[in-house]
Amino acid sequence: MDNEAILRKYKRRQRLIDILPVVALAALFAILVATVQSKGYRLDMYLKIVFNEGVVLAVVATGAVFIYTLGSFDISLGASTLFSATLGVMTYNATQSLPLMILVIFGVAVGCSLLSSVLASVFHIPVFVTTVAMMSVLSAIAAQIITTNGGAVGGISIPSALVKPLDNMGFKIAVLAVFWLICFFVFDFTKIGRKQKFLGGNPVCAQLTGIQVNKYAIIAFVMAGIGVGLGAFLTLVYTPSVTATTAGSIGMNIVVAIVFGGMPISGGPRSRIYSALVGGFSYILLNNILKLLIDSNIGYGVSQIVSAVFFLAVVYVTGLNYRSQMLPR
Amino acid sequence: MKTPILEMKHIRKTFASTVALGDVDLNVYPGEIRGLIGENGSGKSTISSIAAGMQKADSGEMRYHGDSWNPVSMIDALSKGIGMIVQESGTIQGVSVAENLFLGETKQFPGPFGTIDRKAMNAKADEALQAIGVKNVSGATPMGALDFQTRKLVEIAKVVMKDPEILVVDETTTALSQEGRSILYTLMKKLRDEGKAVLFISHDLDEIMEVCDTLTVLRDGAIIRHFTKDEFDADAIRTSMIGRELQGDYYRSDYTPSHLEEVAVKAEHISLGEALQDVSITVYKGEIVGIGGLSHCGMHPLGKILFGAVKPDSGEVVTGDGVKVTSETVAMKQAFGYVSKDRDVESLSLTASIRDNIAIAGMEKYAVNNFLMLNSREKVYVDKQISDLSIKCADRDQAVSQLSGGNKQKVVFGKWIGRGSEVLILDCPTRGVDIGVKRAMYQLMTELKNEGKSIVMISEEMPELMGMSDRLIIMKDGRITHEFARSTSLSDAEIIQYMI
Repeated sequence: MDNEAILRKYKRRQRLIDILPVVALAALFAILVATVQSKGYRLDMYLKIVFNEGVVLAVVATGAVFIYTLGSFDISLGASTLFSATLGVMTYNATQSLPLMILVIFGVAVGCSLLSSVLASVFHIPVFVTTVAMMSVLSAIAAQIITTNGGAVGGISIPSALVKPLDNMGFKIAVLAVFWLICFFVFDFTKIGRKQKFLGGNPVCAQLTGIQVNKYAIIAFVMAGIGVGLGAFLTLVYTPSVTATTAGSIGMNIVVAIVFGGMPISGGPRSRIYSALVGGFSYILLNNILKLLIDSNIGYGVSQIVSAVFFLAVVYVTGLNYRSQMLPR
Repeated sequence: MKTPILEMKHIRKTFASTVALGDVDLNVYPGEIRGLIGENGSGKSTISSIAAGMQKADSGEMRYHGDSWNPVSMIDALSKGIGMIVQESGTIQGVSVAENLFLGETKQFPGPFGTIDRKAMNAKADEALQAIGVKNVSGATPMGALDFQTRKLVEIAKVVMKDPEILVVDETTTALSQEGRSILYTLMKKLRDEGKAVLFISHDLDEIMEVCDTLTVLRDGAIIRHFTKDEFDADAIRTSMIGRELQGDYYRSDYTPSHLEEVAVKAEHISLGEALQDVSITVYKGEIVGIGGLSHCGMHPLGKILFGAVKPDSGEVVTGDGVKVTSETVAMKQAFGYVSKDRDVESLSLTASIRDNIAIAGMEKYAVNNFLMLNSREKVYVDKQISDLSIKCADRDQAVSQLSGGNKQKVVFGKWIGRGSEVLILDCPTRGVDIGVKRAMYQLMTELKNEGKSIVMISEEMPELMGMSDRLIIMKDGRITHEFARSTSLSDAEIIQYMI
């Protein structure tokens, strides 16, 4: 085989790996539709569930891509979402002001995110470690506020009429689309995104290329904080109450979603912003398919195992080209 | 006729879009030091790494002492008799020297309750290091505390203590000072005298001719010619390597030191721990300043200080306009560029493409309003560097990790030259590159000088320092010991007395 033929084969394979997450999303969607119809359930209801769960995960994951691109993990995003929503609800109940509630949600979300990154840079410890601590602290404070003000089960809430007008597909699609497009622009068409990707690939080289590590880490956390704020607000729009378990699994789900979307777990130059969108909805589709297919009594454990196997398979496939590229010459 | 220790037949290997080896046959005989030479990307490292179990061939057959040879890993190959010292860093930072030496074999030092007897392990490591002539490093030392050359010596000890039948040395000497090289040459000769074999890869023709008994020349993934010692002839070898006569001058053709009046950068009274003691240098526009010395003389940290990447304990670096260079960001704003000796770690992001690596430093050159990145403009910018520097690649989106050493180095040059760097700090700029690429780099440096740009060339290679510098600064133990002006009468002997 001559060089041209090998190059063509290589590029074909690379393209295939790149579009695989989208193909998987389409396949999962088709499987969900077929499963719901075969069981005689209402398809519109399932699609609404998938959409509402998926949109929150996709929004938070889109912001989180900036952190993951740096090769860092933030496991506290679920707790931040809960904490922001909690303080938002408390603010509304105290002031009856929707704008103030939104302001508090975003302020708290960005503040929590920034705190993680500042603590990491001040104390020179891995971001992952600070986010583990943040997760515990934020969850504990939120749970304390919720149980003190509304009870552990019922939680705290805002009047449903307040956000009812926003609880529609059009508004949520608009929010997701605007945020995603902004992130896409920053990530792929500005120096910020390009520098962050390079930083994730090799921080030593990035620093010796004049890239200020702390500055770009802080920007990444601000973007993630905005995603958390939006996620917290959309959560309240969908269910106007907050309990101690609200958004509890988002932190881990984001990792899975981003990988499902085809982004390398190590971040770097091969990071893709669409991974959050594609992976977020793929993960929610997979979860709902598994809930439908597996008996509810044993369902949770089996679903988790199937998700884990799927996760490993995706990591393996998306890493195929990377591994072949890294062979030494 | 001797029976070969290793026979490699019809070996073929491709990397994505590149044919690295096409149907190569190679035999390695007992009692020989066989040199492998060729331009970057000729297949030298590939063929030897296949023999040493680092990677598998796509097709072909290997026999070791007559038996089929298919090592599953480098560890497997080493345990069975073929060990390799790799081109770039092959050690693990964050653990001790002893842990590196006995990686995966710590069970041989059992301590109480299933622990490791570190004292015994460190003592054994000291022994292994001393056996190859490394006396100033202890097994307990953290790997991260060692410099590039010493890490390489630890790696050599790690392979040699396994007493391999065939030792593969892949462009290792470029990372070593004269002292380190002597250690390695002694080891190689010892192995040969014991009836074992060495596969020695180097771009230094003089070194190859001095050290090797036989020589195999590769070009574009094929073996071109085998030379025996009595056939060694520098011109014939060069012609075999590149397939044509080299045209034009190798180093600068003029012997008159020259520069413009204006100062480009000045380092004043720089001190840094024990590495540098009150060092001051001034570099003028249009000047190539060479800095030479033994590996630990302080010249490498000085390069980083000039670029603002390391903060000195005292002293400062100031541009001709009076701007203090306090960080890499400031240095870049002042149009400085820095090429590190440790290319794969400090100068390139190996997971990124050629395009990413070149474009990252020059964004202000092609971004709209220094903000908006447009693919079309970026492609033009990157393609110009690929074309100007003749980087051999499938396309701009090829992973930089797939390139040969010389082409990787060209990418690093493209990264800094493309953005119009006015002051280039080049730390061992021709390390691990072949003579064709070296010549291209020297010509480029001459062109840059003629354009009024300043170059600080830090190097451990005397010929290039003498051949390229307007001024040659020699360092020893963190101090400047002498300064030479460019001259035809300059000799190695004269310079070396100020180094050691």
